[in-house]
Amino acid sequence: MYATPLINQKTTLTPRSYDGHTSIFLPTVATITDIKTETRLEKIFTIRLPNGQNLGQIPGQFVMVSIPGVGEAPISIMSSPSRTTDTFRLCIRNAGDLTNVIHTLQVGDEIGIRGPFGRGFPWETFFGKDMLIAPGGLGLAPARSLIDQIIDHRTNFGRLIILYGSRNPSELLFRDVLAEWEKRDDVELMVTVDRPNDTWTGKVGVITTLFEHVQINPFNTVAVTVGPPIMYRFVTMELLGKGLNPEQIWMSFERRMKCGVGKCGHCQVNHRYTCQDGPSWTYAEALAFEEAL
Amino acid sequence: MPAKPKIAFFDFTSCEGCQLTIVDLLQTHLGLLDLVEVVQWREAKTEKGEDYAIAFIEGSCSRASDEARLKQIRERAQVVVALGACAHLGGVNTMKNRWVMENVQTYVYGKDGQNAYETYPARPLSAVIKVDAVIPGCPIDRHEFLRIVQQMLQGRTPKLPDYPLCVECKLSENSCLNKHGKPCLGPITRAGCDAICPTYGDGCEGCRGWATEANFVHMREILRGHGLSDYEIDMKLTMFNHYQMHELGAKAPLTTSTTENVPLPTSKFSAPQED
Amino acid sequence: MSLYILSKEKLPEFVKALQAKFRVVGPVRTETGYEFDDITDPEQLQLDYSTTILPPKKYFLPQHEVLFQFHSGPNGKGNKHLELRPIYQDVQPTVIFGVHTCDMNGIMLYDKVFAEGFRDEHYMERRAQIYIIGIECLHPCDEASFCKDMGTLTAPPIYDLHMTEMDGHYLVDTGTEKGERLLQENLYVQMAQKEDIQRLGQLLSAKWPRFRMRLKVSKDQTPSLLALGYKAKIWEQLGDRCLACGSCTNVCPTCFCFDVEDRMDINMQDGERARVWDSCQLREFALVAGGHNFRGKKSERVRHRVMRKGKYIKQVHGLLGCTGCGRCERACLVNITIPATINGLHDEMQLESGS
Repeated sequence: MYATPLINQKTTLTPRSYDGHTSIFLPTVATITDIKTETRLEKIFTIRLPNGQNLGQIPGQFVMVSIPGVGEAPISIMSSPSRTTDTFRLCIRNAGDLTNVIHTLQVGDEIGIRGPFGRGFPWETFFGKDMLIAPGGLGLAPARSLIDQIIDHRTNFGRLIILYGSRNPSELLFRDVLAEWEKRDDVELMVTVDRPNDTWTGKVGVITTLFEHVQINPFNTVAVTVGPPIMYRFVTMELLGKGLNPEQIWMSFERRMKCGVGKCGHCQVNHRYTCQDGPSWTYAEALAFEEAL
Repeated sequence: MPAKPKIAFFDFTSCEGCQLTIVDLLQTHLGLLDLVEVVQWREAKTEKGEDYAIAFIEGSCSRASDEARLKQIRERAQVVVALGACAHLGGVNTMKNRWVMENVQTYVYGKDGQNAYETYPARPLSAVIKVDAVIPGCPIDRHEFLRIVQQMLQGRTPKLPDYPLCVECKLSENSCLNKHGKPCLGPITRAGCDAICPTYGDGCEGCRGWATEANFVHMREILRGHGLSDYEIDMKLTMFNHYQMHELGAKAPLTTSTTENVPLPTSKFSAPQED
Repeated sequence: MSLYILSKEKLPEFVKALQAKFRVVGPVRTETGYEFDDITDPEQLQLDYSTTILPPKKYFLPQHEVLFQFHSGPNGKGNKHLELRPIYQDVQPTVIFGVHTCDMNGIMLYDKVFAEGFRDEHYMERRAQIYIIGIECLHPCDEASFCKDMGTLTAPPIYDLHMTEMDGHYLVDTGTEKGERLLQENLYVQMAQKEDIQRLGQLLSAKWPRFRMRLKVSKDQTPSLLALGYKAKIWEQLGDRCLACGSCTNVCPTCFCFDVEDRMDINMQDGERARVWDSCQLREFALVAGGHNFRGKKSERVRHRVMRKGKYIKQVHGLLGCTGCGRCERACLVNITIPATINGLHDEMQLESGS
């Protein structure tokens, strides 16, 4: 039987106790303390748990966000553990029914949070490695929890290479942060867009076109890619082409989720539940699942 | 959408039974009137306001002259909702589309029938104007109506089940009619009515339109198993969904022609005798 | 634990005694067959029933189960304020009569699914108050049964009481302490004698030839067969036929997937969140917000269901996900069956390997 050790799995808010009962479905009521409009489609929500409790997440984990009366959906956590105190942040794209309503919320409104769920990136096992992080589009939000964690433990890692691809300049996330990374000597950042506008002076092309500009030591590099399903096929080809083996490549999977706790069946990939055994997998693990890629 | 949107009800070719369902719903859910302001509703209200955000339209379009009024409503409303099978699908009104219009007119009103009234092949609202949301059924399901109104008030896109009726039949533990010799279109019809007809022993006739993945080939196979002829199966598939079957065309071909060369029925409801 | 003799005439007395303290459910007759329903009169109980459309899983995981109630309204500052209160639905002392051995196997899997990993107290609290009274299957339900293939023709150790009909009596085995008490506290019963137990042994050994085998492979081989057959042609053929109606999963005693739905009151402030049975055979099951469908084709969904029944669930929970009860076969209008699928896959794989 194929068995992956489930590492890094912990949750601080679920199950929640109430009157001596516990419920894995009962969200914790949290408050929105800040909202920042990031792009036409994305907003960043800062969320405070009761009594300023620390979310206690690992990079790459997600929470289930609820608006009772509308629904619940999995959202990747954007904050790194190193930058999580009494609040944490979620970068939410207006892509569906629930997120559409989330985008109408105001500072001070309450929402439901369960989690953090899933297997995050085992960042401590990457100590001493060169890190190549390749997010596409909204994938930069979950990737950022890892990038910030690395930056805040910078001496524990080798090089930090970030290859970021976006559809067009207006959809680029975290432009202020990108500018900061750009200035740093210990971060190698490259950004490309598929469809440039008149003012764009940077690189043009899909994310895979960035790989020819970067040389890595295949013996000592861990790659992490987060993006839409279609991207993985091409990015993994590039990474394999650079001599990485499938165990050195990590990715994060998106699936429909209704419970987050391995019961509802929606996120199943072969026999695995993405909400529990994922969403982070190595490419080697993904190759063992016919349904993964 | 404002806090308390103004809504209006309109009717075209229909029995107005869907609006009646809403009137009836108000007996148990008067709170609905705290959520919306009804400015025009011929069936339930005398005053007529022309300033509305949501237009609920019952009935199909069965006259060329109806199109202008529909377009006017579309221009005034931010959101247009097709209310019931006639508005959503064309519904039973489209059964007449099986015949040439002139023949239908003569059949119903005698040899001067063509001058007696205006008609053209009946069609759903979406064939004439853009429709934003649909509340299916003949008549509509009151709970679904309520849910869809609530979803719109929440700023959401109204959502209908896209799977077949069988799901609801199984959840209610109904004995399958198709397994017991009664033809039922449940396997290809969009759920959402809580399988009300099969629950009371009547086979589904498809009034809610087809499920997204309706498997017509094997539905026909099932109906043939009941001893239905190809013609009878076509009649079943076109009872509410004549317009849709013609839209689907080669994707779900009818085996007999239902637009021409089909003799007008000679039933007890035959044409009035001419002197 | 211990075997007792319960005469058939005494059964109504037992049911009546239980009704005073429990919700009593069991198989009753319907217009076209049988279903599990509340027993109001002991005469309704049909312990010699064949099968039911839905398995007794509906008492363990109701079709529609409220998880919590909420109030969502403005607070003093005009902000959205939330109050949540969990609901534990249908938690009440319940006795289920006449559970077939296949369905007991289904319940055994449910117990693992909802207890392992995150413990689901909505399930567990209800479960703790349910008594299972099994009935030994001495004849197959009908042609669709293949319990013998799936090894579910023996009662698994989850029953509180298990009854075997013998010579106008029931031989009752007490599976648990609480079962023992249920019996002793509600009825005067005698221990079975040596001759009764001998006769029971004969009865049980005589039942096996009445059940036929339908699979060409043993149940222990199905995981490997399915692993080999992931890309088989049979999935396309089944996908073409499939109506995507979800009947097979809804009637399955081991299917547990659910969707989560919110309902709002007319005041738009109060409401409840519930889980409702869902099916991996429906188009939107693996559809994500961006529009990507991870199992968009019916063939992929039919395959996923069979993979779950014959392989995946065993990998996760150690038990096969099929009990051989035959309900999916009875419910399917296009004759998609587990035995024909497994056998067809077996034949296709044999052809492929040239043997």
